[in-house]
Amino acid sequence: MLVGIAASVNAQNQQERTISGVVTTVVDDTPLAGVTVLVKNTTRGQITDLEGRYTIRVADGETLVFRYIGFVSIEIPIDGQTTVNVSMREDFTQLDDVIVTAFGTINREEFVGSAVQISGRQFEQRSITSATQAVEGASAGVLISPGSGQPGSSPSIRVRGIGSVSSSNAPLIVVDGSIFAGELASINPNDIETITVLKDAASTSLYGSGAANGVIMITTKSGRSLSGAAREQINVRVSQGYTSRSIPEYERVNSMQYAPLIWESYRNSLHYSGNQTLEAASTRATQDLFSLIRYNPYGVPNDQIVGIDGSLNPNARLLWEDDWQDEITQVGARSNFDMSYSGLAGNTDYFASFGYLSETGYIINSDFERYNARLNVNSMLRDWMKVGINTAVALGESNQAIDGVSSNASFVNPYRSTRLMGPIYPLFVRDPVTGERVPGTSYDAGINRPEQTGRNVVQENILNSELEKNTNMNIRTFGEFYFLDDFIFTISAAVDRRHLNVDRYRNPIIGDAAPGGDAYRTAITNTGITLSQLLNYRKSFDRHNVAVLLGHESFQFERNYMFTRRGGEVTDGNGELINYVDLLAGTSNTREYRKEGYFARVNYDLDSKYYISASIRRDASSRFSQDVRWNNFWSVGMAWRLDQEDFIRNVSWINSMKLRGSYGQVGNDSNLSHGALSFYAYQALYQLGYNNAAEAGILLSTAGNPLLQWESNDQTDIALEFELFNSRLIGTVEYYNRETADLIFDVPLPRSSGLNSYPDNIGTMFNRGIELTVGADVIRNRDLVWNLSVNASTLRNEFKKLPQDEIITGTKKLVVGRSIFDYWLRQWYGVDPADGSALFVASEDAIAANGADIRDMNGTMVTTNQNNAEFAFVGTAIPDLFGSFSSTVSYKGFTLSTLFTYQVGGKTYDSNYALIMHPGSEYGRAMSADILNRWQQPGDITNVPRLDANQSAAFSAASSRWLVDSDYVALRNVNLSYQLPRSLTTQYGVSRATVYANGENLFQNTARTGLEAAQQFNGTTQNRYTPSRVFTVGINLTL
Amino acid sequence: MKYNKITLIAGLTVLMMSMTACDDQFLNTVPTEDVSDAVVTSSPANMMLGINGIHRSMYVRYLSCQGCVGLGALMIFSDSMGEDVVFTRTTNTWHTGIYKFEVQQNANARDNLFPWLFHYQMIRNANVIISGEDNVTGDQVAIDIAIGQALVYRAFGHLMVVQMYADRYVPGGANTQAGVPLVLTPSNDGQPRSTVAAVYQQIHDDLDEAARRLQSYNRPNKSHLDRSVALGLRARAFLAQGNYTEAASYAAQARNGYPLMSHGELLGGFNDYTIGEWMWGSHITLDQSDRFGNFGANISRNNSTIVTRTNPRAIDTRLYNQISATDVRAEWFDPTGAHTELGLPNNFSRHPYTHQKFIAVSEQDSRMDVPYMRAAEMYLIEAEAKARLNDPTAADVLFDLVSTRDPNYVRSSNTGQALIDEVMIQRRIELWGEGFRYYDLKRLAQPLDRTGANHSTQATGGLFEMQPDDDRWTFLIPQSELDANPNIDGN
Repeated sequence: MLVGIAASVNAQNQQERTISGVVTTVVDDTPLAGVTVLVKNTTRGQITDLEGRYTIRVADGETLVFRYIGFVSIEIPIDGQTTVNVSMREDFTQLDDVIVTAFGTINREEFVGSAVQISGRQFEQRSITSATQAVEGASAGVLISPGSGQPGSSPSIRVRGIGSVSSSNAPLIVVDGSIFAGELASINPNDIETITVLKDAASTSLYGSGAANGVIMITTKSGRSLSGAAREQINVRVSQGYTSRSIPEYERVNSMQYAPLIWESYRNSLHYSGNQTLEAASTRATQDLFSLIRYNPYGVPNDQIVGIDGSLNPNARLLWEDDWQDEITQVGARSNFDMSYSGLAGNTDYFASFGYLSETGYIINSDFERYNARLNVNSMLRDWMKVGINTAVALGESNQAIDGVSSNASFVNPYRSTRLMGPIYPLFVRDPVTGERVPGTSYDAGINRPEQTGRNVVQENILNSELEKNTNMNIRTFGEFYFLDDFIFTISAAVDRRHLNVDRYRNPIIGDAAPGGDAYRTAITNTGITLSQLLNYRKSFDRHNVAVLLGHESFQFERNYMFTRRGGEVTDGNGELINYVDLLAGTSNTREYRKEGYFARVNYDLDSKYYISASIRRDASSRFSQDVRWNNFWSVGMAWRLDQEDFIRNVSWINSMKLRGSYGQVGNDSNLSHGALSFYAYQALYQLGYNNAAEAGILLSTAGNPLLQWESNDQTDIALEFELFNSRLIGTVEYYNRETADLIFDVPLPRSSGLNSYPDNIGTMFNRGIELTVGADVIRNRDLVWNLSVNASTLRNEFKKLPQDEIITGTKKLVVGRSIFDYWLRQWYGVDPADGSALFVASEDAIAANGADIRDMNGTMVTTNQNNAEFAFVGTAIPDLFGSFSSTVSYKGFTLSTLFTYQVGGKTYDSNYALIMHPGSEYGRAMSADILNRWQQPGDITNVPRLDANQSAAFSAASSRWLVDSDYVALRNVNLSYQLPRSLTTQYGVSRATVYANGENLFQNTARTGLEAAQQFNGTTQNRYTPSRVFTVGINLTL
Repeated sequence: MKYNKITLIAGLTVLMMSMTACDDQFLNTVPTEDVSDAVVTSSPANMMLGINGIHRSMYVRYLSCQGCVGLGALMIFSDSMGEDVVFTRTTNTWHTGIYKFEVQQNANARDNLFPWLFHYQMIRNANVIISGEDNVTGDQVAIDIAIGQALVYRAFGHLMVVQMYADRYVPGGANTQAGVPLVLTPSNDGQPRSTVAAVYQQIHDDLDEAARRLQSYNRPNKSHLDRSVALGLRARAFLAQGNYTEAASYAAQARNGYPLMSHGELLGGFNDYTIGEWMWGSHITLDQSDRFGNFGANISRNNSTIVTRTNPRAIDTRLYNQISATDVRAEWFDPTGAHTELGLPNNFSRHPYTHQKFIAVSEQDSRMDVPYMRAAEMYLIEAEAKARLNDPTAADVLFDLVSTRDPNYVRSSNTGQALIDEVMIQRRIELWGEGFRYYDLKRLAQPLDRTGANHSTQATGGLFEMQPDDDRWTFLIPQSELDANPNIDGN
């Protein structure tokens, strides 16, 4: 489409003549076939042949433009030459010329919307398992919460802020034009041509329903590139690598430090919180210490571990110090093999691929294995009929480590449990005298261990298993009919099906299922079916270009769920249900969600200078009742190509410049997320399954709301796009304002009504920001190119209207004038140097009551009683500035690219850290190294209260003390590659061979060791499987 | 050619359009896990679905919290606020905040919210059925059974929250202090707090009406509420009000026909609601069990959970010392903590004076039937009420009960306060672990005293004594209620 091959002869004043030349690559001077050679600002063009040769008619004073996908374009002014040979250089940062947008593609210069497109080339050497990992750092205005370290996990994505409170905030995922109902990790990243993030109303509104949170369009490869050029090649890709932990553990005290700290905590509890003298308390602490910690690895008598002076017995020597985390972590392996071929055969183009991926995580018993096959075929069956089918199958098996998010506080959570394990506790059964492992025994069940009594998280994670088996089938098919010259009618159907089977086994020896053991089977079948009909009309009249689209789309999604659990294992280690005695649970359900829409779009441009695009979509969702389920969404976008105006055209250093803006209204009904907003949100329901023994029973579950309707999102976008200095500086400056009206809100009900909440459209919230994207070729010469790219975004989120004055949820409070993630916490004041008490700013009521807990600290009234503390807004989780910067250096065949992401501003509520900052009250629990800075004697100035076992409620209370800056810089990716000389490879039939080394998640620089900043959008932390660091080396061959 | 093509395309279009079902039926989806709320009041049989749903709600988990499983959890709440039940270790998280009185005055605490939402959910479900009488048609007997039980639940819910979230009912006083919202219709609108007196009045009205409707109801099992339960709850309410004449009268009526437990039954693990003495209880089947949240998962001695292994409950040694050696109930407790006959695995911590009153199905199956009301409680209410009325027959009532526990028990010759004290000791022994102590201390305005016994500094957080006027006896009305209910004031 873009490449106008037909050479039309225009009347020219100058003398045209024929010139010719050869196009080669910089790397090894081999010829490049298929390069488009255009006379600038005309429609005259040619394509180089297999030897890279071209001939073209051109006049002096004109300019030749050489373009080739993936290479930097070159412009050569003609002034008397008869031969023009050029040498082209690959480009990893160049923007695609064609943008994938709603129901079609569009040339970048014609596009009035806001979108960022990531080309598959940009991540073909990265060890990405789930495609959306490539989005991180690629687009301004897109917040990412990285996926966990579980191989195969996908990140969470927020496009332009947090748009909703009670419905989904996740962008809509569209694969090859249809809503994707499959598993993201089932898509082979090497099958992907482009990932396009649509950010504003002009680009998304044709997906009216569910477009409010942005749309991520994934387009798979075909036998032709997006611009229509044939892609006849065979690709083979092999990589090998390993995975390891990327976020370090929090720093904790060691065994030699540990016992004196517990001693001190207990002593202080007797003295400060009790009424014993310091001497009596010390004596008793020395006597009683062993009864608190219950294990003595120090090789001294139990009543002499810590002396009455509080210091460790100088004769102490460690009989053991087992590293629990070491036992549960490993170096994982990653292997990837991909093979694809594509090309043209008659009127058919095809892309076929096979892929295999195997990755083991750095936590034991976690892995991911995937087999992919894809066949994308398009055929021009008649001159008026084109059909295409994309089929993909992915089979996956994945052993799941314990999901630290859903089992955040569970004993079997390996991240939490190993973090909290006191350093003195043996992993294995050990002789208390010698410290040696006791022959014939294995893991220590910790019957007397105060921390995780009767449990052994390492043993449990070794013995238990959870295996996910995924079967994904994705079909996209269309027929296109061309008639009356300017019309195209397209019918298409898409079907996604995912079968997820989970086999879970819990051992009978230790843990939650002991002593019987149990086994689960979960079977989930998700089916998504999209049917659409599109009518396209495109016509140019003189200087006017018009394109009209009419369409209809219906979507239905079904989730079928079945769950069975049995307990009482019969024979050891067999997780099949027949091997169990008791039926503990057996249930199933089917949930459906449907929507339907009619839409139209008109694109018009005048002179390829002024562009306008208007669209409207009428949509209905089954989430809303019949009377209110239809709603209209629309957008208008305009662009002005300044570079086409004479006053800019003559400015030599401006290559292109476009001013664009859009305004529109899009909707949100929570899409496929039943969890955020029920598929049956409007209905008042009684839930089945409340049987009372053998008698049938139902219980009121939801209030419903027949008036509930679409959440609407008014989006404004203004941007300036530019390419300057011979396209050495490319950038976009953009402002957006997203205002969500009729927020779908779980409006809290008085609990005395017997229900928690009902959904309603109450509330208004906006997200605003400025996005800056700049890329520059700092050095650009024949052998050496250095490109630097930066993106930076601001985000301001604020409520304008809420259903009640204030809503407190966890660590946050929602009020008008503040964001959804503003912390509302007790105000931490510090530590009283006199007695080491934790101090909070006192509430007015408490000051008035003037109880014994109120103290005057240099004029600030504070309290030692957390219940009398003043709550206040003490910061937000939302960053001031976030984005990425990347560098690509290319010298001869070598390319070194790096990607950093960063965040400035915003705070994290580090509850993981708070757990290891207990004031010695959790006997047996690990302690942060920061405990060493505790208050110890009157006069100590510190921010860590005294250790005191009786003060856990006061000293550990949730407060602003646990906030920490979220600022970070993370090195997400480094890739070093070398393209072997063609002279070397062609003799083996390989036209291109690249070897590379790649690293993902290399480091994150945060305010505190152990902290995973930006783990969750709301700023809280969980004991989760932190992301893996992945190193790979690989080779990509093109035959 | 061109027109043939257009015809073909038009035909295909029509075909495709018809496949995509453009009518609204396509968009009308119904859930498979739920039924419309209109169903529950559409017939007497469906009303019973709703009643059984409430019965079930007595033993399901709330707030995703393992320590918040129905009424059994609230029984543990109550005993954790007294002195008779002793926490032996500090390491578990469930109910320790209650034991230390840390959450009662924290309006944002989960354990502060749970009793409130549990009972008001019960009231809402009951109100739907009660108000459904206007629409439902069918067998009036069946309607009465459903509505009668709903009325009992509504009264019970109000009785529980008024005792927890309001200042105590002052016997003989006007009791015009603000109580809790009286919710009598199914509505999303928040109600103001009614006076304590008004709440109690409504409780009696509901129970009176319930007793009338359930007059001849012969229930299929004791998860259902019959007239005796309604009368028993009236006895409880009158006792809380200090109206001893009525309390004694209703208690006597309520227990009519219920035999007391035999020694064998008393030592059988307290887990079978078919035992004659039990008046009301829940029976949990295997697929309805909450493995780690059941009453038995928190209170039994033999089931294996973090709570029962590391923090088995013991009896206050002072109370234990009051149990006669010949009293069969002494065998509920093991002063050595060894429980040799239970054959506990090694990983169960041993502590002196732990109980073996409550025994679950097995180490891995935490189910036990949950006792909500027993005839013994009615004897004790009657005996206490009569003792406080200086009625000499109090000692007879007490004898009728205690002589079935202790063969050597002789009718008490005590009178006055000494007799009252003796009844209270028997009440604490008999109902140990069944969730009465908090309500008793609060209604009698007695102090908490955990000194001189086996309560530890660590487990209690140093809380050994609390005076009757301490704010912590009353739960704060949850913040989420205050935030969403414009008609309510905090307490």
